[in-house]
Amino acid sequence: MIFGRAVFAAAVYGFATMLPAQAQQVVIAIGSEPTTLDPQLREDGGERAVTDNIFETLMVRDATGALKPGLAASDPVQVSDSVWEITLREGISFHNGEPFNADTVVYSIERIIDPEYNSEQASFFSSIVGADKIDDLTVSVETEGPDPILPARLYWMKMVPPEAAEAEDFAANPVGTGPYKFVSWDRGNEIVLDVNADYWGEAPEIKDVTFRFISEFGTRLSSLLSGEVDLITNLLPEFVAQVPQAKSVSGLELPIIILDADEGPTADVRVRQALNLAVDKVALAEALYAGYADVAQGQLMAPSFFGFNPDVPGYGYDPERARELIAEAGAEGIEIELVGTAGRWLKDREVVEVVAEFWSEIGVEPNVRIFEFGEYLNRLFDRETRADAIFVVNSNEMLDADRPLSAYYHKDGVGSSNTNAEMAANIDAARSETDVSKREALYHDILQTAYDEAYFLFLLNINDIYGTSERLEWEPRVDAKILISTMSVD
Amino acid sequence: MGRILLLRSWHGLIVIMGVTIVVFVVTRMIGDPVDIMLPLEATAEQRAAFEHQLGLDRPILVQFFDYVWSLAQFDLGDSLWQNRPALEIILERLPLTLYLCFSAIAVAVLVAVPMGVIAALKPGGIIDKITVLLSLGALSVPQFWLGLLFIMVFAVQLGWLPAGGAASFKHLILPALTLAIPTMTRLVMVVRSQMMDELNAQYVKTAEAKGMPLFRIVGLHAMRNCAVPVMTLTAWEFIRILSGYTVVVETVFAWPGLGLIALQAIERQDLVLLQAIVFVIAVIVVVFNLAVDIIYKVIDPRIKLD
Repeated sequence: MIFGRAVFAAAVYGFATMLPAQAQQVVIAIGSEPTTLDPQLREDGGERAVTDNIFETLMVRDATGALKPGLAASDPVQVSDSVWEITLREGISFHNGEPFNADTVVYSIERIIDPEYNSEQASFFSSIVGADKIDDLTVSVETEGPDPILPARLYWMKMVPPEAAEAEDFAANPVGTGPYKFVSWDRGNEIVLDVNADYWGEAPEIKDVTFRFISEFGTRLSSLLSGEVDLITNLLPEFVAQVPQAKSVSGLELPIIILDADEGPTADVRVRQALNLAVDKVALAEALYAGYADVAQGQLMAPSFFGFNPDVPGYGYDPERARELIAEAGAEGIEIELVGTAGRWLKDREVVEVVAEFWSEIGVEPNVRIFEFGEYLNRLFDRETRADAIFVVNSNEMLDADRPLSAYYHKDGVGSSNTNAEMAANIDAARSETDVSKREALYHDILQTAYDEAYFLFLLNINDIYGTSERLEWEPRVDAKILISTMSVD
Repeated sequence: MGRILLLRSWHGLIVIMGVTIVVFVVTRMIGDPVDIMLPLEATAEQRAAFEHQLGLDRPILVQFFDYVWSLAQFDLGDSLWQNRPALEIILERLPLTLYLCFSAIAVAVLVAVPMGVIAALKPGGIIDKITVLLSLGALSVPQFWLGLLFIMVFAVQLGWLPAGGAASFKHLILPALTLAIPTMTRLVMVVRSQMMDELNAQYVKTAEAKGMPLFRIVGLHAMRNCAVPVMTLTAWEFIRILSGYTVVVETVFAWPGLGLIALQAIERQDLVLLQAIVFVIAVIVVVFNLAVDIIYKVIDPRIKLD
């Protein structure tokens, strides 16, 4: 009897203490613990989930992905080919009292592009040469040649206060201008943030935030189901029905299969087109992603990205036509090496296997090779002996055409399989084209060519799925940022 | 005894050196950390610059001697992924892992020894049969699945215990239990069979004949004779838990110990942290084995260590 009562008491006590999620407070489960809270050093989703709420950037995006001024007072102005001028908001200060001004911006820019600092984000800012203070609230940024996407780059660069950032423990004691202040970091367990009462923008509803780190998906799901957390990321599509609320949004990730346009069986454009027509993308989205994926529109771009060409139709599902093309090309029974990896991206292995299944139905012989990620990368970056087909997922954090096109469409890109010099020239031209509509036209042209040439097997645009508690009100964003200031609870 | 200990320490040192070399070679073979750390779309020049910063563009022999030289000065290097001393990270995590391992072993021994003894008292009896059945059943369950099952029942359905984390004693219960169960089952079987053998021995018959109570025969004589094999297995199980099972269990329960960080180091190809973890585990295993050898000698003076 006494034992029974003790168990009951323990259970009630346990239950009560396990529900930290009181009003004005949320608990977020992320997949990996940040290694640093210095927002300029790493390129890591777990760290971003935390620092996106502490730090701010000159440019921000609204929920649909459109760029707008953040810490900048207005859109940056391109005063000459290689110089941009940015006016800053007045009267903003960091959580430690340091003022936000031109010196801060110059410091932040110089810090992140410094080779000694060795930022993993440096590839986002490779065009920036330096920055100068014009007056207290005006900064000029110099780029190597014209750089039309500087505003988009600035959206990725978090502003840090010079004094605090120079301190030894900045990585463990972050100080920003954002709506939330850093409180504590219990390594291995949790990071706690508190609302910034002096925030310059709209006051957030949520007062306290706790981030917990749970890498195993089953455990993350269980924590949501048991009420320990309010939000989990990367909810698997097959579990959508089990969580209190599932929210999804068109994501940043686009899987494609790069087809070798130079050598081997896929050098014939008819074969590449046939491989596109052979795959039923709608069925793929339904079967593997439970419908939480859109069919890609014949390009390595989602509709929210700058440069997206709405007129490119995409290859439908037409196995009859695919067989005809294969016959025309005389490629019946030909072997096609298809390289993929397992466990890196959502359903990576499954997609490759299903695609191979579709391919074999049009009379070619796919040879699927799944490599461990390190070895897979060697194959992806190997430009000498190209595999006929390589599966890859592009994640476009900048929501701009330049990065994916430079990496996969450009003949010198790390993962491209073509030698189309004209297209490469167009990509280079677009990178320094300052006229927005001309630049967009160039991208439309490039994307159309790549579609006609079927350089890739265009697959899907995967949705980001989040699981949330019943009480949480929040809408996910196309840029995948988890902004606590946009949340509220009942 | 002193000479033998010295010899054993020397053997341990050779083992550690061997592990050091193997780990260095293997971690260099599994892949390029630069490729993992930078975004896929980074250019070849950016990769080369990053590689240079990390010192990974130096000849492999130079890297190896640099590594050994640092080790000789008790410097395990800086983690590539976390950018701080690997030893600092390990010392942060190791206590949590040891806490979990010792808790699991304690639970396993405290349950397995009485269970095995009771089962052995009446071989073929109902208690014996149930014990054997339970042990075999529990042994056949994969630990990973067992952990998730516990979470589903105790965290999600009943809401008694947290699903993951290490913030309080409540957080210890499920992972320790999950870790303990396979060990417990193997231990039960060994205690049971050892005890059966002992109870059939002549000295037990003699003791029974002269009227010594059963609990004294078991507790005083038979137990002592069972102690060495049971201890051997327990020590072996401890090493298995520490150097392997914790990776699975810590991952399932988001227990921020060395196992979880080892897995993350592999995922991020953090060569430095990974080789530091393996090195520290190797040292612990060697020292632990040495300690067990000494304890054998204390329990059973007949054992010769050489």
